[in-house]
Amino acid sequence: MRRATTPAIVIVVGVLLLVDFLVVNDSLSQLADLAVNAVILIGGGAAVAAVAALAVRRAGDLWRRRGDPVGAVLVLVGIGAMLIAGLRPGSAGATDPAVRWLISALLVPIAATLFGLLFFTTIAAARRSAAGRGRQALVLVAAAAVMLILLLPFGGEAGDRMSAAASWALDVPIAAVFRGILLGVAILVAVVAARTMLGVGSADE
Amino acid sequence: MPTPAELVGRFVEFVGDVLGASSLRFGIGPTLVVLGVLLVFLQLVARPISRWVTTDAGGLAGISRAMALAAEAGTDAVVSLGTAGIGRATDSLARLQTLAALPLLGHVARAAARSGVPLRVLTNDPLAAAIAGSALDAAHESTSTAERLGRSRVVMVGEGRPAAAGLVMTTRARPAAAIAMGSLREEATLHLDGLRHSAGSLSSGTAEASQAQSVLLASGGSLVGPELFQAPADLRTDVYERTTVIAANRLIVATLGIIIAASVLSLIGIIQPNDLLLGVGRP
Repeated sequence: MRRATTPAIVIVVGVLLLVDFLVVNDSLSQLADLAVNAVILIGGGAAVAAVAALAVRRAGDLWRRRGDPVGAVLVLVGIGAMLIAGLRPGSAGATDPAVRWLISALLVPIAATLFGLLFFTTIAAARRSAAGRGRQALVLVAAAAVMLILLLPFGGEAGDRMSAAASWALDVPIAAVFRGILLGVAILVAVVAARTMLGVGSADE
Repeated sequence: MPTPAELVGRFVEFVGDVLGASSLRFGIGPTLVVLGVLLVFLQLVARPISRWVTTDAGGLAGISRAMALAAEAGTDAVVSLGTAGIGRATDSLARLQTLAALPLLGHVARAAARSGVPLRVLTNDPLAAAIAGSALDAAHESTSTAERLGRSRVVMVGEGRPAAAGLVMTTRARPAAAIAMGSLREEATLHLDGLRHSAGSLSSGTAEASQAQSVLLASGGSLVGPELFQAPADLRTDVYERTTVIAANRLIVATLGIIIAASVLSLIGIIQPNDLLLGVGRP
């Protein structure tokens, strides 16, 4: 019964949105808006439930002295700080200066610090892949090394030629690969959507 | 009270009114094109297994072995659904990758359920978490291992792409196998590096064109670009099916080679197809 209900909902909503996309009609538009708003409401409810579950789980970790107590305290303090900043009396909600400060002064720098590690992890991954002598990885690392050399800031005629070669590599072979990937993804996205609507699952189910 | 005839008449009148109040958004030509393309896709996908693929690009055929090792070692396995989620504020191409990863999660969950290996599913989206929980339920239901369901769990790692990368880089758990499938962007290298360091084996895949290098450098099996969407159709390519496909593909290649060679010989005048087929010139 459950297996039949879910594809039925997917097909009905999918056909409704498709018809609304192709046909201009007020009633259809209202029905489609209703479906989209219902999805938004479900998503909002699930988000609140997930945050509550996260807080309960971390509080349970602290209470039962299991897991990572420092992480649990940080999660609970973070949730509490954001809730107080956004929901206290007189707060402007998501646009409140306190909320914005928490995001711009804490979350953004923490994320930026994390991304700062990318330089080291990428170099380490390239070294490890080259040491593993995988064919794909060797080609990738060699191409990256060539591009790195071409992009070095040399002057004079040699520098101009290297810069032109780098631009050509970016505009022709690399752009072609990117577009090929995007075209392949677009085609298979459509196939996956049709599979979902037809209820064609993976073959090992 | 209206008679059945009046009821049908009113219904037909209502449908007529609705149709009369409607108009095509793109005109008749583009609308037929859209519907035609949809029809062609529906015809193409009305089969559960893809035809041409004989390789195991993502290393997914090794999942059963990884689960056996995990069961022997008494550890768990990790599946990361990427960092786009389903209900998060990101583009639809990224969110579709999460949907594409769900059949792979189901495949891994069934293998884990059969082997008695606990599974941890990492996601940063509550909707994806709810659906992943259903996938775990379904996996244990289909393998009649409901008593093992409590050992597996879905972990909501928090909002944002960096949160997932930070978690996998700092976790102390040592799973036997890690599978990361879905949208990975700037944090891809961090995310995969964290999983690779802690897990015994790693399979990763993303359809983000800009992050193809991240999955290629991550070691282990990798699904790049469209392969992420194609992989669910190739999950049951066992030895027999794979051998059949390989044999058929070789026959097709041999046939094409004969056609091309014969065309070249015919063009340069060495053979004449009609004479050859009709036996002209034979003694």
